[in-house]
Amino acid sequence: MIAYFANLATLVAIFGILAVTLNFMVGYAGIFSVAHAVFFGLGAYAGAQIALTVAPDPLLACGVAALIAGVLSLCLALPALRVRGEYFVAASLGLQMVALTLFSEVKSLTGGIGGLTNIPRPRVFGVEVGVLPLALIALGLLLWAIHAMANGSFGRTLKAIRDAESAAEALGKPVAVAKALAVAFACAGAGVAGALFALHMSFVNVESFTLDQSVLVMAMVIVGGTGTLFGPLVGAVLLLSLPSALSFLTFIPPTEVGSVQQIIYGLAMTLLMVFRPAGLLGDQNKGKSHQ
Amino acid sequence: MSEAPLRCEGLARSFGGVKAVQGVSLALPAGAVTALVGPNGAGKTTVFNLITGNLRADEGSAFIRGRSVIGLKPWQVARLGVARSFQDLRLFTQMSVRDNVLAATERGCWFWQGGDSRARHAAAEAALDATGLTALAGERAVDLAYAERKFLSMARILAAGADIWLLDEPASGLDLSSRLRFGQLLKDARARGVAICLIEHNLDVVVDLADRIAFLDRGLVLAEGAPKDIMNDPKLAAIYFGDRSHEAAA
Repeated sequence: MIAYFANLATLVAIFGILAVTLNFMVGYAGIFSVAHAVFFGLGAYAGAQIALTVAPDPLLACGVAALIAGVLSLCLALPALRVRGEYFVAASLGLQMVALTLFSEVKSLTGGIGGLTNIPRPRVFGVEVGVLPLALIALGLLLWAIHAMANGSFGRTLKAIRDAESAAEALGKPVAVAKALAVAFACAGAGVAGALFALHMSFVNVESFTLDQSVLVMAMVIVGGTGTLFGPLVGAVLLLSLPSALSFLTFIPPTEVGSVQQIIYGLAMTLLMVFRPAGLLGDQNKGKSHQ
Repeated sequence: MSEAPLRCEGLARSFGGVKAVQGVSLALPAGAVTALVGPNGAGKTTVFNLITGNLRADEGSAFIRGRSVIGLKPWQVARLGVARSFQDLRLFTQMSVRDNVLAATERGCWFWQGGDSRARHAAAEAALDATGLTALAGERAVDLAYAERKFLSMARILAAGADIWLLDEPASGLDLSSRLRFGQLLKDARARGVAICLIEHNLDVVVDLADRIAFLDRGLVLAEGAPKDIMNDPKLAAIYFGDRSHEAAA
C-alpha cells in the first residue's frame, strides 16, 4: 500500500511540474498550447537515453532534458508564435501530431512503438535515490521560480501581452521574445518532468505523450485555476487521484471504472465552468467587470 | 527653430482599392499640441499606425529625431521615445492599476529588468498621482469606471517617459471636469517640451489644447494651420459635418 501511494505521489509531483509549467504559458502569457506532452516526451526520451547510455545521474538527465526540450521549443515556437489565440492552439495541435509520429518512427532515439526499456534507477554519487524526493525538489524550485517571475517585471510583461498584446508592444516590449522565453521556460520544465518520469517508470513509449496527455495537463490547469500559483497543482492532485479513488469503490466493477471516470470528469468540468469558471483556486471575478 | 522630433513625408497606405492615407506630411514640434481633425474614415488613426509601425507604409517616410522608422516594429518605435494611446484603450485588464503603470516603465523582456528599480517605481507613482489614480492603484483595470480607464491610459503614457505622444481620442466620453483635468495633463506635458499629436472629435478640446490643426479627409491633409483659421473655414466645417454638396457643385 505504501508503494502504491508513493507511486501515486511521484506521479502527482511529476504531473504537478507539467501543470505548473503549462500554467505559466496559459495563465500568465496567454499562450494556449495543446502540445505540452511533446516536450514531456522529449524530456523523457532525453533523460532515458542519458540514463541508458551515459549514467543514471538524475541531475544530468534533468539538465539535458530541460536543455533539449527548451531549445527545441524555441525552434518550433518562434514561427508558431506569429499566430495568436485559437490559431496557436491549432498550430500546437499540428505540432503534437507531427511529434507523435516522429516519436514512433525515430526508433534509434525513441525505441519506436516499443519504447525504451530497462532504464536504470537514478543514482547520486553511486547511491540509488527515489524519484519522489527529486520530483518534489524540482516542483518546489519551479514553483519558487514561477512565483518570483510572476510577481516581477517578466510576469508583468507576460500578463500585459496576455491582456493587450498591441498595447504591450506600443510600450516597447518585444512581444515575440517575451513569449519565446515563456515557452522555452515552460517547455524546459516539461522536459524535467519527462526525465523524472522516465527514471521513475524505467520504461517510456509514445503512449505517454499523446494528445490525451496534453489535454489532461490542460484540464489540470483549468480545473485548478489558470494564472494561480497552486491551482494547477490542486488540479493535478484531483485528476490523478480520481482514478485511484474510484478503484477503491468496490461497487463499481473494475471493467467500468474507466467509463465512470470519464462521466465524472465530464460532469465535473461542466459544473466547474458553470459555478467556478476561473477554476478552484482562481479569482472568481476574473474576466468579469463590476459595471 | 529646432527640428521637429517627429516628421513624416508623403505617407501613403491603401487597403485593397481604398486609399486610406494619400501622401500625408506632418511635423510634430516639441512643446506643441498638433490636432488631427477630420470626419470618420479620414485616415487619422491609420497615420498613427503608419508612424508607430503597426502598419507598413506603401510609400513615404517617417523620422524620429532624424532616424527613419519605416520598417521598424512597434516596440522599436516605442523605444525611440514614442508613446501612443488607443481609441479602445487596450488596458491590461486583469492587472492592477499600479501594475499597468509599472509595466509602462519596464522595457526589458528578459527574466530580469535592468536599470534602477526605485526610479521606475517612483515614475509609476508619480504618473498615478498626476492622473488621480493613487487611491485606485490596487484595483484591477477592468473594474475601473470609464473616465478612470481613460486616465489609466494616460498614466501609462506618462510613466513611459516618452517625449512624443500620439493620442487617439483620449477625451472622448469624458465629462467636463474630467476633460479639464485631462487638458491640464496635456498642458503640463507641453510645457515640459513633449511633442503631442491628438486625434479628437470634441472640437472644444481641440480649440482649448491645440496649437496647430491638420485637417484630414479621405487620407489627404486638406488644410493645416492655426486652430482659428481651420475652425472658421466653412468648407472644412461642411466636410466635417458630412455636407459634401460643395463637391457636387464643383
